[in-house]
Amino acid sequence: MWKDYSLNYIKNNHSVGLSVTIAAFISALLLSLLCGLFYNAWKYEVERIELEEGGWHSRIIGELAAEDIETIKDFANVEDVKRNEKEQKGTEPATDIYFNDKKAVFTDTPLIAQRLGIGPERIIYNYELLAMYLIRGPGDTAPRLLFPLFILITAAAAFSLIIIIHNAFAVSMNARIHQFGIFSSIGATPKQIRACLFQEAAVLCARPLLAGTLLGIAGSAGLLYLVDAYIGSDVPGRHPLVFGYHPLVLALTLLVTVITIWISAWLPARRLSRLTPLEAIKNAGEFQLKRQKSSRLLSLLFGMEGELAGNALKAQKKALRTASLSLIVSFLAFALMQCFFSLSQISTRETYFERYQDVWDIMVTVKDTDIDGFEEADRIRGLDDVESAIVYQKASAKRIIAEEEMTEDMKSFGGFSGAPANYVSQAEGGWLVNAPIVIMDDLSFAAYCEQIGIAPRLDGAVILNQIRDVTNPDFRHPVFMPYIKAPGVGENAVSVLRQSGSGEQSGNKRQSGGAGASAGYTSAPSGDHKETTAAVPVLAYTQEVPALREEYATLDYYELVHFIPASLWKEIKGRIGGTEADSCICVRAREDAAPEELNALQDEIAQLVEEKYTIEQENRIQKYETNNRQIQGMMTVFGAFCVLLAIIGIGNVFSNTLGFVRQRKREFARYMSVGLTPEELKKMFCIEAAVIAGRPILISLPIVVAAVGVMLKASYMEVGVFAAEAPYIPILLFMLAILASVALAYYLAWRGVRKISLAEVLRDDTMM
Amino acid sequence: MELLKCEGVRKVYGSGGNQTAALDGIDLSVDRGEFVAILGASGSGKSTLLHILGSVDKPTDGKVVIDGTDLSKLNQTQAAIFRRRKVGLVYQFYNLIPTLTARKNILMPLALDKKKPNREYFDKITASLGIADKLDLLPNQLSGGQQQRVAIARALIYRPALLLADEPTGNLDQKNSKEVVDMLKLSNRNLEQTILLITHDEKVTMAAGRIVTVEDGRIISDERRR
Repeated sequence: MWKDYSLNYIKNNHSVGLSVTIAAFISALLLSLLCGLFYNAWKYEVERIELEEGGWHSRIIGELAAEDIETIKDFANVEDVKRNEKEQKGTEPATDIYFNDKKAVFTDTPLIAQRLGIGPERIIYNYELLAMYLIRGPGDTAPRLLFPLFILITAAAAFSLIIIIHNAFAVSMNARIHQFGIFSSIGATPKQIRACLFQEAAVLCARPLLAGTLLGIAGSAGLLYLVDAYIGSDVPGRHPLVFGYHPLVLALTLLVTVITIWISAWLPARRLSRLTPLEAIKNAGEFQLKRQKSSRLLSLLFGMEGELAGNALKAQKKALRTASLSLIVSFLAFALMQCFFSLSQISTRETYFERYQDVWDIMVTVKDTDIDGFEEADRIRGLDDVESAIVYQKASAKRIIAEEEMTEDMKSFGGFSGAPANYVSQAEGGWLVNAPIVIMDDLSFAAYCEQIGIAPRLDGAVILNQIRDVTNPDFRHPVFMPYIKAPGVGENAVSVLRQSGSGEQSGNKRQSGGAGASAGYTSAPSGDHKETTAAVPVLAYTQEVPALREEYATLDYYELVHFIPASLWKEIKGRIGGTEADSCICVRAREDAAPEELNALQDEIAQLVEEKYTIEQENRIQKYETNNRQIQGMMTVFGAFCVLLAIIGIGNVFSNTLGFVRQRKREFARYMSVGLTPEELKKMFCIEAAVIAGRPILISLPIVVAAVGVMLKASYMEVGVFAAEAPYIPILLFMLAILASVALAYYLAWRGVRKISLAEVLRDDTMM
Repeated sequence: MELLKCEGVRKVYGSGGNQTAALDGIDLSVDRGEFVAILGASGSGKSTLLHILGSVDKPTDGKVVIDGTDLSKLNQTQAAIFRRRKVGLVYQFYNLIPTLTARKNILMPLALDKKKPNREYFDKITASLGIADKLDLLPNQLSGGQQQRVAIARALIYRPALLLADEPTGNLDQKNSKEVVDMLKLSNRNLEQTILLITHDEKVTMAAGRIVTVEDGRIISDERRR
């Protein structure tokens, strides 16, 4: 009987079924998408660990004899044993063990070690990889966040979805309280009523569940393709992201979705089945206001229709809660994301691409090569499309600045009083500051000398004599002033550079080895270690920098940059500081070089130098395009999530409005019986739709404006610059999409409502 | 002076062999200021007649003219405006708007026409119906009797040509039923309100000056009382 009744009801009430179907489809889509993405994130992480660390489960350090390896292989649970050739280079030899049952790794490996007479200190486990299979050992103390994150996000998604589908079920079930009251009055038990509702839920949700799941899998594949193509393709050293899927993931997805839908149906079904027959028969399932609420603004703007619409929205507040929340969050997130990326794009373009537009076209990093060891500079300069090529290497040093050397400008903002201790320290005779050295090939240095208007010489340094006003944090429009008083440049002007200290030789810096210093360079004991200094002649103090893709004094405002020729460096290296491991070549192409010509030039440079050196190359236009593509990719991914969030809200609006004919039939009949014309009813509908769609926009826009204000202030960008390129169109399109979707939901509802026959409703005895 | 005239009104439901005549040739004339009770058993067609008179439904055949308006010629919008201005409808289950206070429910027909209420008239009807102190409450905060009084006040606020009451006491206890009927009688006498009351309860008809009995969609008696 229930089967016939339910099927008949579903057949005759498509609109109610549709709202539940949409809700189930969205739930399945979202959960399937999440599970697909997480599975691939897991798979990618496993692949990464296997590539970087290896796919072994446990490892025995130290040399093992061939018979020992055979002994390990004889263990039942051992799948394979391999000598680790890679690890043996420069370190102790190691033997990697792979297990059939990974869970046994923590019990079997000690047994193996015991059998071989090896102490437990020689065993190490691949904790990172094992944790990916949820196998945790007592020695693995690192936080493993992938699974907790997955569980948290899935639980949050399932919880949010329960609220939505629960609403869809509640709307459809509430419309039938009266009918179930009648069933109850003739002896149907609560269990039978619940069973009936669950059967209906199963019939309504089966197809959308499968369709949503399949589309979710396709969506995750598409999203990963986008991520791989737009965001990750240019990240050096990463391995490609290949989409994968596993039947177990499908099973898990279906299980999570079915549980979510079951809980969503159970919540209203339980409440409904517990009503007494009298309560159920009396209940008209209408939206009610518990206490008086006025809709003054809508009433003022639209008269009685506005008041009715406002009150109806207040009465539907609970049913529309998910819609309001998800539409607000999605619009807010979308608008903020668009503004943030636009701002970021403008900022990168202004501070990086435009600033260095005339400085470089191709940057070549020559790995593990000192400037004096690089011999291909002239051949590069000789290439057809090359305008200039500067070979340079950076080194670190320190020097003392005495009180009397400081300019009045420098003193005006407090001298070194506000300088961080890790950059500036007080020393005998003044303050010890960083003096980064940029060593340029002789030819380029001579050209630089000409650029700043001095006679080219290769025995001295040009000092960048400027310091940023540290009291002005506006990094976009920094104010520079002379750092030290420039004494007369000549034979006697020297800058005494000091070793930056062994403790600071870190990262890719290394101590220079090499020749001793020539006359004029001294060694002086300082503290516990012997400090060496080099007094280099100063050729000029300048505020003009050579055309290199370098930024100076960005973190340490107090550094005093020295540009020196490679010839001079040959003389002083080993005395002061350490060079960075790599040298760089800053290549400028012909002015009118097209992107394809730059690519060709890049290939030519590679052909010239790759035989002898290991190089990495960057191409300005390619980098600009990559940067734009990455931003577009990130915007697409984040935008997709915002759209998905909006779909949840729109789905809720649809599930609500499609139930209108049933749910609000009596309400509309009342309006009509008092004399509300169809046009006035339509106006009321339009007001409701406008409020539902407009409220998220009206709430979000001031927040977006305030947030953009904060972002502009923090990034010191002028309002006009941002306003000229602000993402009006995408935000407007998103806004219009919300408006159009809500309008469509209400239009479809209106088509049903306008067919309501007042006479038929009045003939219904249940009209209360 | 004639306010309402029905000529040969028929209402048929269904089609083909399934046809049922709810009304079968009703001829009825009501003068201004009359209090007419339409008495009939369940299924006699009395509610169908009221729906047709209230421009809620249209007759299959025949003509209905109220206050000079031929109802069969009204489209949906005109019918709604006619209901708003010319007839006041009172139902068994009150049909108040649950999201509006009693005051706003009463003023709704005027508000739809963007008209301001006559303060004196509003106070007079709410006082005489005994709901002056309940005006700021929502319908679900009122008893059944109070809700029906609000519904009557709403029906009277536009000073309609005709007040149609469909089993107005059907959902009320004896005391409230008597009070509601007394109020209708009072409005008929004091405001010269034309009233057409539909009921199956003979006791309720006692207040009316004329009793029209309907059976199987036909008028079988039309009795004027002194």
